[in-house]
Order: sequence, then C-alpha cells, then structure tokens
Amino acid sequence: MATLDQKSPNVLLQSLCCRITGKSEAEVAHQFQYAVRVIGNNYAPTFERDEFLVSEKIKKELVKQRREADAALFSELHRKLQTQGVLKHRWAVLYLLLILSEDPRKPSSRVGNYGGLFAQALPRDAHSTPFYCTRPQSLSLGHGERTAALVGSVGTSGISSLGVYTLNGPTPQSLLGGQVPPSAAGAAPTLGSRLAWALPISSSPSALAPPSARLPLGPPVPTARVIRPRQDADLTGEVHEAALVRDILYVFQGIDGKFIKMNVQENCYKIDSKVVLCKSLRDTSSRLAELGWLHNKVRKYTDARSLDRAFGLVGQSFCAALHQELKEYYRLLSVLHSQLQVEDEHGVTMCTESSLTLRRLLVWMYDPKVRLKTLAALVDFCQGRKGGELASAVHAYGKTGDPQMRALVQHILCLVSHPILNFLYRWIYDGELEDTYHEFFVASDPNVKTDRLWHDKYSLRKSMIPSFITMDQARKVLLIGKSINFLHQVCHDRTPPGKITPASKPADTPKDAAELLSDLEGAFQEKIDAAYFDTSKYLLDVLNRNYLLLEHLQAMRRYLLLGQGDFIRHLMDLLKPELARPATTLYQHNLTGILETAIRATNAQYDNAEILKRLDVRLLEVSPGDTGWDVFSLDYHVDGPIATVFTRECMGHYLRVFNFLWRAKRMEYTLTDIWKGQMCNAKLLKTMPELSGVLHQCHILASEMVHFIHQMQYYITFEVLECSRDELWNKVQQAQDLDHIIAAHEVFLDTIISRCLLDNNSRSLLNQLRAIFDQIIEFQNAQDSLYRSALEELALRLQYEEKKRQREEEGEWGVTAEQEAEEKRRVQEFQGTIPKMRSQLQILTHFYQSIVQQFLVLLTTSPDESLRFLSFRLDFNEHYRAREPRLRASIGATRGRRLSYI
Amino acid sequence: MASAANANLNAVRETMDVLLEISRLLNTGLDMESLSICVRLCEQGINPEALSAVIKELRKASESLKVSENCTT
Repeated sequence: MATLDQKSPNVLLQSLCCRITGKSEAEVAHQFQYAVRVIGNNYAPTFERDEFLVSEKIKKELVKQRREADAALFSELHRKLQTQGVLKHRWAVLYLLLILSEDPRKPSSRVGNYGGLFAQALPRDAHSTPFYCTRPQSLSLGHGERTAALVGSVGTSGISSLGVYTLNGPTPQSLLGGQVPPSAAGAAPTLGSRLAWALPISSSPSALAPPSARLPLGPPVPTARVIRPRQDADLTGEVHEAALVRDILYVFQGIDGKFIKMNVQENCYKIDSKVVLCKSLRDTSSRLAELGWLHNKVRKYTDARSLDRAFGLVGQSFCAALHQELKEYYRLLSVLHSQLQVEDEHGVTMCTESSLTLRRLLVWMYDPKVRLKTLAALVDFCQGRKGGELASAVHAYGKTGDPQMRALVQHILCLVSHPILNFLYRWIYDGELEDTYHEFFVASDPNVKTDRLWHDKYSLRKSMIPSFITMDQARKVLLIGKSINFLHQVCHDRTPPGKITPASKPADTPKDAAELLSDLEGAFQEKIDAAYFDTSKYLLDVLNRNYLLLEHLQAMRRYLLLGQGDFIRHLMDLLKPELARPATTLYQHNLTGILETAIRATNAQYDNAEILKRLDVRLLEVSPGDTGWDVFSLDYHVDGPIATVFTRECMGHYLRVFNFLWRAKRMEYTLTDIWKGQMCNAKLLKTMPELSGVLHQCHILASEMVHFIHQMQYYITFEVLECSRDELWNKVQQAQDLDHIIAAHEVFLDTIISRCLLDNNSRSLLNQLRAIFDQIIEFQNAQDSLYRSALEELALRLQYEEKKRQREEEGEWGVTAEQEAEEKRRVQEFQGTIPKMRSQLQILTHFYQSIVQQFLVLLTTSPDESLRFLSFRLDFNEHYRAREPRLRASIGATRGRRLSYI
Repeated sequence: MASAANANLNAVRETMDVLLEISRLLNTGLDMESLSICVRLCEQGINPEALSAVIKELRKASESLKVSENCTT
C-alpha cells in the first residue's frame, strides 16, 4: 500500500472506482469506462504547473474560510512535504486535493466550486495576449459576477443525474424533475455571462453576450425545451441538439465527432447523411463546422512549420504567434466544454435558459470565427514565404478597415517583426550579421576579400525588405552596418561601436517592437537617421584624418591630371632625351630616378611625404615601333581604405586621362620648341633671301598649330578639368557618407573621360585629334630638317666668305675661278632643294588643314555643347569654314537655328 | 541495501501521512487508500483536473445509486 509501485493507470483507476463507489469490479464497469475516457481525452491542463501557486491558493482558500490556524498548519505540512523528495508531481497532488476540498461550513457545494475554479483559472490566463489587456471595466464587472456565481450556486443540490455517459443505465428523470432549486434562476444567467466574459474579443458586451446575461435574475422564460432528454437520439432516430453541440465542440478542435465527420473528397466537415436531422439544425451545424476546418488549416501550417529549422526565426515567431491565437481559441473551447460538463452535472435544471445550443454557439463563435478566418487567410498568403517576405505578407494584411482585425494582424506583425528588428539593431549598432537562415534584407558574401568590402561584400536582398521599411531606410541600414564593418576590417579602427553612436537600447521585447512599428515614420526613422549620421560622419572623419582622403584627391589632380605645372614641365624637360628613344630601351629605374629629380627640383617637394612616396613611373605595354613617349605614364599607388574610393577601374581611367593629357602637353611642348627654333633662326637666315618664302610658310603653319593646341589646352584645362573638379570638390565637402564621395568621384571621372573624347562615342574625334598631333610631330621633323640644311648651307657660305676675306688680307686673290664655280654650283644645288621643301610643306599644310576641317565637322555635329563651342573658338575667323563646304553648311545651320531661337 | 529500502519506505510513509493530513485539512473526503491511488496516478502524470472530475463523478454516481436503492427499498 505504502510503496508507490508502478501499476498501470488503468488498474489503479479501476481500484479507485471500486473504492469510492464501494462496489465490485463488475458493477463499476460503466464508471470505469467513463473515467478512462475522461482521463484519456483531457488534452491540456488549464492550470500552470506551479507548486507554489497551488499552495498559495490553498492557503488563501483556508483563510477565506476563516481557518488561519489550519493555513499555518498546512504550510508546515507543505514544508515537510517539500523536504521529502519522494513525490515528483507535488503540484498535481496538491492541486487534486485543492479541487476536491470542501468548505466544511457549506457541505454540498462541490459543483459550484468546480465551476468557480474554472472561472477563476481562466480569466487570469485569458489575457496573456497584450491585445486583451485593454478591457479593465469588463474585467471588474466579471469579477463581481463571479462572486455572485459562487454565492448563487451554494444552494445547488449535489445530487444530479449520472450524465449522458450512462446510456443504458436508469435515468432518474422523475426525481430530477422536481428538484429545481430556487437559486437556479440566479445561477443560470451568471453562468452565461461568465462564458461571455471568457470569450476573448467581446470589446462591447452587448455585441456578444447571450441575451440571458442581459436579464439578470429575471424569471426563467418558459420554452418548449424545458426538459431535455439526456439521450443522443429519441425513438424516432432524430439526433438531438445536445449531441450535436457535443459533436461540434469536438469538430472545433479538428476531431471527428459522432455525426459530423471530415469529408476528405470535399475537404469539409459534413454531417453524416444518414442522420435524420431537421434542416435548420443541419444548416447551423455546417456553418459552425467551418471553424473546425479553419482550425485544421492553421494547425496544419504551424505543425508542419514549427519543427522546420530552415524556416528561420521570423517563421518561428510567426508560428508562435499563430500558436498563441490557437491557445486562446482552445481556452474558449475548454470553457465551452466545462459549461457542457456543468450542464451535464446539473442535468435538466440548466436547460431552461443558458444551456449550450447551436444557435448560441453560432453567436458566441462569431468573433473567433472571423479571427480564425483571418489567420487561415494569412496562412494561405504566407505559404512558402520566409523572413522579411513573410513580414511583408503579414503587413499587407494589416491594411484593413476593421479595427479588430487590424489589431490582430498588428499583434502578429509585432511578433513576426521582432526578430527582424533584432537583426537590424545588431547590424546598425554592432555591424554584426547573425542571419543563419537568410531572412534579413542585408546579405553578406563571405567570398569577397576586404579590398572589395565596400563595393561587393554586402548587398540588399530586395525580396526580404519588409514592406513597412522603405527602400530609403533599407539603404541607410545597409550603409550603416557596412560603414561599421569597413571601419573595423579595412581601417582597423577599434573604436567600440558604442562610441560611434550614442548608446541606444535594442528592442529586447516584442513590446518595444510594437512601439517602433506603430511609429515607423517618427522614432524608427529618427533612430536610423541618427545612427546613419553618426556612423557616416565618424567614418569620413577617420578617412580624412588618418587616411588623408581629401589630400589624395588633390594629389590626383596635381599629378595624374597635370595640375602641378612646374613639376610637369620640368619632368618633361628631363625626360625628353630618354623618351625620344625607342620604348624597348627604356628602364624603369632610370625613369624613377628622373622622377625623383623632378620632384626635388620643383615645388612638388613641399608636398606631403605620404603622397610623394606613392608617386611612381609606369611603362605601358610596348608594341613594336613605339617611342618612349608612347609608353611613359605616371602612376599613383593606392592601397587600404583609400583604394575603396580609388578603385582599380578608377585608376585605369586616371591612366587613360593621364595619357591623353600627357600627349596634349607634349604637343604644346613641341610647338614651343618649334617656335623657339623659328625665333632663333629667323635672324640668322635673313641673309638667305631665297628661304624667306619657305620660312614664311613654316611660320604660318606653326601659328595655325599653336592656335589649335592653345584652344585645345584651354578647353581641357578650364572647361573639362577645373569645372569637373570644382563640382567634385563641392560634392565631397557636402558628402554625408562614403557612398556619396565614391559616386561623386565616379561622376567626375566619367565626365572627364567623355569630355576628353576618351569614351566610345567620340572615338572618331579622338582619331582626328591623334592625326593632328601626328601632323605636328611630322611638321617638327620637317622643319628641323629644313633648318638643319639651311644652317649647314649658311655655315658653308660663311666659311666661304671667311676664307675669301682671309686671303684678301693675305694679299692674294679672294677666290679662284674654280672655287667660285664650285660655290655657285653648291648654292644652285641648295636653291634647287628649296622648291622640294616648299612642296613638302605645302603637302603637310594641306593635309593638316584637311584633318582640322574634318575635326571641326565632327565637332559641330557633336551633341556636347561645350565641344560645339570649341569648334567656334578653333575657327574664330571662319578661316576653315571658307574652305570646307560641309562646314559652311553645318555651321550655318546651327547659326541659323540659333537665330531662329532668338 | 536493506536499510536503504527501509529508509525509503519510511520516507514514503511519512509523505503519505503528511498528505493525509493535508487532505483532512482540506476536507477532501478521501481515505488513505483512495488517496494513495490518487497520488500514484498523479505521479504517473495524469492531469489532476481530470482525475478530480472522475472522482466527483464517481461520488455522484454512488450517491445517486444509493438514493435510487433507497427509493426502491
């Protein structure tokens, strides 16, 4: 007896039955069956498994009965019990004893207490969902009614029928009929109102409470169903409503009832067609059975998903939210069940006014049905979605006009978005991405190395952006975390994240999430903005202070874009002899040495050492026939955080622009040389009048070229480089984050590339320009050879004159006839070469002019306005226009158009 | 071994005594044997609410049987 050996529950139950009824095993077979069923059926305890709560309750009960001494005794005993570790489920035993306890002063109130317990246990749990908290007045009302119910049920007789379970047993109807207690009328409405109170969503009591609750203590209205037979079917085989109600209650939980069963083909609950039933009952029960179907749908989704780990945190919290709703629904069902049980215990006494009827159920279940319907629709809509997508789907359902539905969806949305907001806070405050299931809208690519971190590592998952977060916000969020990671990984900045942004607490509870969701425009936006400004500003500060970003930008302009004039000029002077040689004979170390010399000799030496050490020479790929001019290039080494702005592509662009500018600069340099030669030799060659025509030709061509190159240089310097640089500088000064700087820089480079005719659209223009440059080089060579031969001739003539004078001084004949003849022949020979030079120059001039004309034609048709203006500047006196009919037409056309505009 | 079993037995007995006392305090109307059955059932994880419902039902059944017997006699 005293040992707690492990007999099977059934054996124990049977002996319990025998013991309590005092009958033999055979006699208590019915009761035993019933007991097994009740115990087997019970799905979940309605009371939390807390020993402390139970013991407190017992004490309270004892105190209420004014038995303080007993209460003290009980706590003594309870302590004793706790010290002995024999029992595992102490709370269960205590709870059982509590339920079975009776007030000695009220000997027969078992039923009332039982019902009261249900009523007490339920409401406390009934508002675990925050949504239900907003009904203080209905709560207090409920409390008052509850006490009334307890008082009212005191007089209820403990004797009642055997219940519906003794189908074949003797039914003591005659006995029960005469035993309607006087307080039944009072008990009935309170029971009804208790139920209405437990129904979760009746925000206005009049909407839901059964009519009986609105007539407190009124006399029972006699109805046709005063006496309800306690059998499922009467003699005609027609099913009774009570049986249907019981069935429906099972169907509500998705369990097949006796008459109403799941029809697999039609996927709905149907009443067995063989059952005889009046049409209205059949209709009502089909309508009610819909709840079962809806419940099944939601249940199936949560069951399938809650174990699926890959479904992710957002999915899990969605399932949890659904579960919470279902729990609420189950709570309601258990209240209905207990009501049914109380009815059974009371037998017919309760049927008069507030018993469960299908019609009543239809009213009471109306709101739960709407809720379940919303849930089912939500489940349908969310099928196959996860993460932020799921949150968007839920959010889309929140846009309804029905305030109750909106509150429901809002509540689910709070739970669903909580993990997303947690991700978000971790990301924007710590830069950490803990997204195992790819639910967050920031994606990270682990394959990307740190040098491309800013550009490629993090990206937005467009589909995962919840619809309540705008694209702009999402971008900012991405940027904030990216900046933090950039600071840590690339800049090696070890500032704790708390110092960058002032401390802000992350959303720890779903409640915080709810607050944020309700104020998306205000607080949320503010939070993101604050974090964005602080982080970006800090990042830019670090880049400027520690990594001299702005200085590097300036240096690019000065060195790669030839802004530092004295340095470039000097470099070119030094490099000229080297670069005239074939490209294959150049050595990088020689050139690097020259670069160093150039730096030390010019103002560049005062520049930051950090910048100067990055400056280097680079030789491009050599193709046969290239001279040093073709392959030489300056280079600027970038690494670390700076390389994020000056990416490899950017440096490639810089290199192209540098080559173009270098070439143009070289032309200017060459023309200076040409001009120098002309000036120096003009006086010398005055003595040779036969050359004057050729020289004049040279001067004309040279000044034509000088004009062209000057205009080109002016265009490049002032209309391309300086304008773009100013724009870039303004943008960089105003930039709020690194992306702005990068974008501005890219725009700057693009503008330069296209304005310098380096992009694909102006390839033909560039070819013409190259040809012009080539002509200039050729002209230089031609003029050089002209001067060489002229000077040679001059030297010979001077020599001849000198000799003549010497001899005269010596008193001899100045020249012999032979010498004179030779001199004459030589002069004639030289004069014979002059027409050749003339024609060569003429060809050159002609060729050059035709190229310039073509170039002008292309310029006037160019879409870029500044290029069209360049064409006016190049042809300011309409010199070329007079020669080129095409030019005349097009320029005339544009001018005509301009006139027409005026 | 034997002493351990003995001690265990003692503990169980004490526990049962305490529980019986509580049961008496609360006026549950359970005697020693039914109480021990109930405790064993609870220890096996049976829902106490269900169990209490069964006990009440059984009591009602036996009472009504008695009443009906009284009527017939």
